[in-house]
Amino acid sequence: MADYDQRPRGGRGGYNNNRKRRYRDEDDYDRRPQRRRYEEPLSSRVRKQFLSIAESPLKRVEDEVVSIARMVTDNFEDEEVKQSFYDLVVQLVVEQPFKIPFVAAVVLVVNTIKSEMTQEVLKRAAERTNEAIGRGEWREVKLLMKFLGGLQGVLEGEGVWIVLQDLLTKAVDLQTENNEETIGPELVKIVLFTIPYVMASSATDNQERAANMVENTDIIASEPHVLQALVDPYPGNGKEEPESPNGVLNLLQKQLQNEAANGWELACLPRPWKVLQETAPEPSPKHTLPTIVIPEVVNAGPRPLFPELYFSVYANQDVETVPPTSDIASCLLRDAIVDTINILDYNRTATARFLIDIDCYFSPGTFVKRATPFDRLRDIEGDRSTWKPEDVAVDAVFSQLFQLPTPEHKLVYYHAVLTESCKIAPAAIAPSLGRAIRYLYRSVDSMDLELSYRFMDWFAHHLSNFGFTWKWTEWIDDVDLPNLDPKKAFIQGALDKEIRLSFAQRIKGTLPAPYQQLITEEKEKDTPDFKYNDQVPDTPFSQEGQEILALLRKKSPEDVIQPVINRIHAQALSLSLPDPLVLSTDAYMTSICYIGSKSLSHVLSCIERCKERLLALGPTSPAARKQIIDSVMDYWKDQPGIGVNIVDKLLNYTILSPGSVVEWALAKEGTRLGEAHVYEMVSATVGKVTGRVRQVVRARSVPGLLPEQKEMMRETAERERTSMKELFALMEDSLTGWASGSKDQTVQSGDGESGDEKMVRQWGERWLRVFRRKFAVEEAWYLEFDKAMEAFTQAQGTAGEANGGEMIVDGEVKAEVKFE
Amino acid sequence: MPAAVRNTVDRLDKPSAYYQSRNKKRKYDRDDDREGREKTPEEPAEDPLKDAATLYVGNLSFYTTEEQIHELFSKCGEIKRLIMGLDRFNKTPCGFCFVEYYTHQDALDCMKYIGGTKLDERIIRTDLDPGFQEGRQYGRGKSGGQVRDEYREEYDEGRGGLGRAIQAERQKEEEEYGKGR
Repeated sequence: MADYDQRPRGGRGGYNNNRKRRYRDEDDYDRRPQRRRYEEPLSSRVRKQFLSIAESPLKRVEDEVVSIARMVTDNFEDEEVKQSFYDLVVQLVVEQPFKIPFVAAVVLVVNTIKSEMTQEVLKRAAERTNEAIGRGEWREVKLLMKFLGGLQGVLEGEGVWIVLQDLLTKAVDLQTENNEETIGPELVKIVLFTIPYVMASSATDNQERAANMVENTDIIASEPHVLQALVDPYPGNGKEEPESPNGVLNLLQKQLQNEAANGWELACLPRPWKVLQETAPEPSPKHTLPTIVIPEVVNAGPRPLFPELYFSVYANQDVETVPPTSDIASCLLRDAIVDTINILDYNRTATARFLIDIDCYFSPGTFVKRATPFDRLRDIEGDRSTWKPEDVAVDAVFSQLFQLPTPEHKLVYYHAVLTESCKIAPAAIAPSLGRAIRYLYRSVDSMDLELSYRFMDWFAHHLSNFGFTWKWTEWIDDVDLPNLDPKKAFIQGALDKEIRLSFAQRIKGTLPAPYQQLITEEKEKDTPDFKYNDQVPDTPFSQEGQEILALLRKKSPEDVIQPVINRIHAQALSLSLPDPLVLSTDAYMTSICYIGSKSLSHVLSCIERCKERLLALGPTSPAARKQIIDSVMDYWKDQPGIGVNIVDKLLNYTILSPGSVVEWALAKEGTRLGEAHVYEMVSATVGKVTGRVRQVVRARSVPGLLPEQKEMMRETAERERTSMKELFALMEDSLTGWASGSKDQTVQSGDGESGDEKMVRQWGERWLRVFRRKFAVEEAWYLEFDKAMEAFTQAQGTAGEANGGEMIVDGEVKAEVKFE
Repeated sequence: MPAAVRNTVDRLDKPSAYYQSRNKKRKYDRDDDREGREKTPEEPAEDPLKDAATLYVGNLSFYTTEEQIHELFSKCGEIKRLIMGLDRFNKTPCGFCFVEYYTHQDALDCMKYIGGTKLDERIIRTDLDPGFQEGRQYGRGKSGGQVRDEYREEYDEGRGGLGRAIQAERQKEEEEYGKGR
């Protein structure tokens, strides 16, 4: 597909003939001589045609398969054509998973004409597989196995079954050793996803083998993984019974058993190789599959592995728009789409294109026609499919956006894929998104808190790309819910996020009347009032507050400010107010906020000038340090996003400690748990701490350190880890208080039965879940890292031994790839 | 390793043709200078964008604030520094900025995931940048803003209407017409 840089001439130069255009992108070839013509080299023509295989709904893919195979074999003598073909076969398999069955079909046709080429393809594919196994790139191994599975028909003897059996044996070994093992299930996943591609290939007489293999995976696949509860997207809300999560492995295994019982129909998988029956009905030569070795010690790979759950936003609709989990198509489609999405993160437009064109890559009849409105699905007769291609695609993107603990790429990538898809095919995608949003909104209270935050963040960001239009009218009834209600909290949080990407007045203009009250006049103010300016009469210390402001404005030195601060202290003492330092800190920090209200850089440079006094506060008085946060968040109470941002910068200056932020957020007011920006503040703070721990732990693994350096780094790492544990313990403590209701009683002395208190308890539970998981993830990461380090050191120790040689390389790769 | 092989799909995290063509031009100029001098064998130049953590961000509205930019761009990683592009004379925002991340990877991700999406309802453009230097925050157009805002013939509300040079010209014409009457 998008092979622009090889395009010799202007390409689709028609649309940008404005020579004054200031934007030059890759498409811009204006400056080149326009009319230079030369014969395009054959190899690049082959490349282009091969790359775009199956992309066009206008071409019969079988014709494409034959034509490419002919082009390659006809030009067998052309070294460039041949090499480019071999390279592309493997590259397409690992970069564009949708095309695997079609690439395999090309190779099958090539085999009937020039069978020695198949030998070379097999050699390269096997080499790449071995290499991927060494690197622990299990997704790549899976894709290559699917491809080799598609070639089973031209393999001698058992072909891929041997490899699958080896993988399974390894998985069972690992699992018996330790049932928390995550590589084992990953290997079984490869086995299970390869089987359908073998069964949909030209190979015959595999039923029994397949059924046995599926049977043998049962012990691993049907056992829910111990970590599964940790990553459950819908832990429930205490009202209804939570839906029990579906592990992908378990699901797929059951589906395969079904297929085995029903003669392996595998209806959704395309079978382009059937063209062979027209072109070359007699059997073609067979080849031996080069050896693929599963090493003794398997590499866990670059990403931490967690059990995968099947997530769908289109479950339980009155008409099925996506395959039900009882149908194997649900797993097969999902797997191919998710791989496509995650592999192609470097070009979201290409990803979106694939998603829109998904019906080109599966067997005809799998989906209804593109962009069929939901209401029309009811009219579809008989057992014809009602699966909407756009729903299936969008569902897969959401499965990543809502992946716990974290998806492969930054969340914003998945935002971008949805935005792009919506731009390419608005009429098809937008209604699907609408139904997804409604589903997610309905379940926003039973969803994991982290996910409901992701949902809100995506929603606001998405709308910002499409003129902030949403049918707000359908949620009007929820506007009057109490602020602690998860639905109301979602609405408020989403509007705040929208405002942060735009401005209050603009967002207000997009809302129906009942929502207008949510965007108060104060929210529309660029500069919030300075409370010491006597808007509220008799604000204590207003005189001093104004003086401090004036002095800070003039950039006066601290020793000129000190007397004013002393006056606050003296007055406070005479009024016998507690903690005078807290009062002066409020005046000081509020002044900084007011001066800095112009922009982020203003507040930063003001903090920079005042940092000495601020830095000195923490060690003197934790209460004063917490007051800094209070002042910031109080000054910016109507635009809390700015406050959160300032707190973040204050953490960087170490003016605030992570502990002080957590205490501010969780110790005092239970209602804070329901506010999106408080969650944002705390998770950013925790993210900083865990990020720092990982960084110092990793630093130990840098090769070539002296023993004393290593020792020093070990100590730093231990210290950081201890403070991280303390932070999590602090959170655990406060949050259990809220979740159990004990905090309510101590602070508010309520009866524990009011609606608010019940909701606070629920928020407490949800918070607790999120941060317990985060802690568990960090612990798991640390253990994995330690294990890898140990393996690495051991491998170094056995250097030079005949068999150890390769292992060392592996160990090195492991340490580097995994943790950089 | 894999970067050396051309992907089957283009990458969005490469510097733009604008950057590359400017680079080429500079190289030509240098070659001219060197004429007559002995040519030193061109050593493979270190790619100035190899570890770039800074992005140039263009096509912003003049009214877009630092906070808005921060809000969007921090989706790709913590922002180390944000420098607003200013009109050389008025010191007001003139529609571009530099965003500096802590890591190269964050900058690449920003190219892939944020470049070409909307901020403040405008499609923004991102380009890898070798790093901010004092002075680069100012517009280089004749009247103080960006060059592209001098001669723009299309009306762009977010960027001061028509190009400034065109506005000036029209005003002059109008005045002269008045005099002639």
